[in-house]
Order: sequence, then C-alpha cells, then structure tokens
Amino acid sequence: MKLARPIRSRAGISLVAMIDVLMIMLVFFMVTSTYLELAMVPLVEGREAGGAPTAAERGTRIVVRLGGDGVAYVQGRPLAAAELTALIEAARVDDPSLEVIALPSGLAELQSLAALMDAAAAAGAGNLRIVRLEAEP
Amino acid sequence: VKLTRPKQRSAPETIIALIDVVFFLLVFFMLIGRMDATAPFEVMPPLGQSGSPMPGAGSTISVSDDGALALDGAPVTRTALLDEMERVIATEPERLVRINAHRAARLRDVLPLAGALEGLGAREVVLVLTPAEP
Repeated sequence: MKLARPIRSRAGISLVAMIDVLMIMLVFFMVTSTYLELAMVPLVEGREAGGAPTAAERGTRIVVRLGGDGVAYVQGRPLAAAELTALIEAARVDDPSLEVIALPSGLAELQSLAALMDAAAAAGAGNLRIVRLEAEP
Repeated sequence: VKLTRPKQRSAPETIIALIDVVFFLLVFFMLIGRMDATAPFEVMPPLGQSGSPMPGAGSTISVSDDGALALDGAPVTRTALLDEMERVIATEPERLVRINAHRAARLRDVLPLAGALEGLGAREVVLVLTPAEP
C-alpha cells in the first residue's frame, strides 16, 4: 500500500500589506499636496555688465509715492488704480520708454505695492523701479 | 437518503481593481503634489496680475503680517536669516530666493529684506504673488 502525503498548496503572498502601504502613502500625498498656483515678480535681478543707466540715458520718469494708507500719489494728488493707469498710459504716448519710479512708505501694506505694479503693468509700463527702504523708520 | 446540494461559494470580489485605482491615485498625487516647506504662520501672498509662473526649488523666506520671519518653514530671527542666507548665497549665488510675504505685511518688513539679500550677492530675489483675475 502506497501512502501519499497530500500536496500542500503554497501560501499565496498576501496583498493586504501592500494595500495598507498604498493607502497610507495615498493619504499622505493627499494631505500634504498643495494646489496653490503662485506667481512671482522679480525684486532683484542679476545686473548686466554696464551697470545702471546714466541720467542722460534715462527717458521721462514719473514718480509715484505710495502712502502709508496704500493710496498712490502723483505730484501730491491721490489717484485710484484706474486713474494711475490712465496717467501712465498718457505719459507713455509721449515717451514709450517711460520709467515709473515707486516711492513707497514703509507703513504701506504689500498688497498696495502689488496693486501699484498691476496699474503700471496695465498701462504697459515695463520699466518700473521701486525705491527700496534700506533702514527701518 | 437526504441529498444535499453542495453550497456554491460565491466568487471572491477581486481586489485587483481596487489596487489599480489606489495606485493611480497615488501616482497622481505624487506628480501634482509639490513638496514645499510651509510657513509656521499664516501667509496669504498679495493678489497680482503682473506675475509670471514661479519655478520650483530655491529658498523661501516667509514674512508674516506682523513681520515675523521664517526660512524654509523654520522660524528665524532677521540676524540668523541673513547669516544663513549669506552662507547659502556664497556657495550658490544663482540660487532663487523667494520672499513669500503676507499681503498685509508692511513694506518696511519686506523691501529692506530684498535689499539685504541683494547686498549679500543674491542674483535672483522674487516676490510671491497669488494670481488674480484681470
């Protein structure tokens, strides 16, 4: 009489552990992912050889003072964003290379500076300089 | 004699489809997710229409509405920040430095910082904006 030992079926690799790991990774990436679409504007850019333009090379300039209340002033006159855009556009008709110089108060909020940059950009002024405050008031 | 019909075992639900879905979701979130240090305080960048798309990498300096500073997610003092940035810029002058400041931050807390970074030799310092609809 021949006795045959029953063939043991091989234990399959459990997928449960892999699913657990996948789920943990999935939750991690879902929680840590950010969907914010952010933009940037340069504050400092690498200078090209030759340095800053001289006074003679510079064209017309318009100085916009940004008050601590966030209002833009040109020659002492407060201007809304649309008025500032119109003013710069009118000045650019005479001199397309118009330079806009922003002179912000240290007490002004950053949002008001961004609004000023938007107003200048809307008028097509690509030459905007910000007079930076080096010392705290 | 009582004959009983053997119970038919219902086919086990396949979990292969579940694994496929989870795997695709995982890959999706890995691709779109952006690992970035978040500031230890609330920062809402100013709204602006004049920005350009921001590249990844670089150092991020966060500025809160009351002037508190953080470098790559860790709170720092202004002195410690400039010391660290001096070391970083000395080894990598082309490194992009992002200033991620709250929209209500005072300019006296933001603009001198950009000037100090330029003085340290930073070639590219940018201000982070939240794109606004025109």
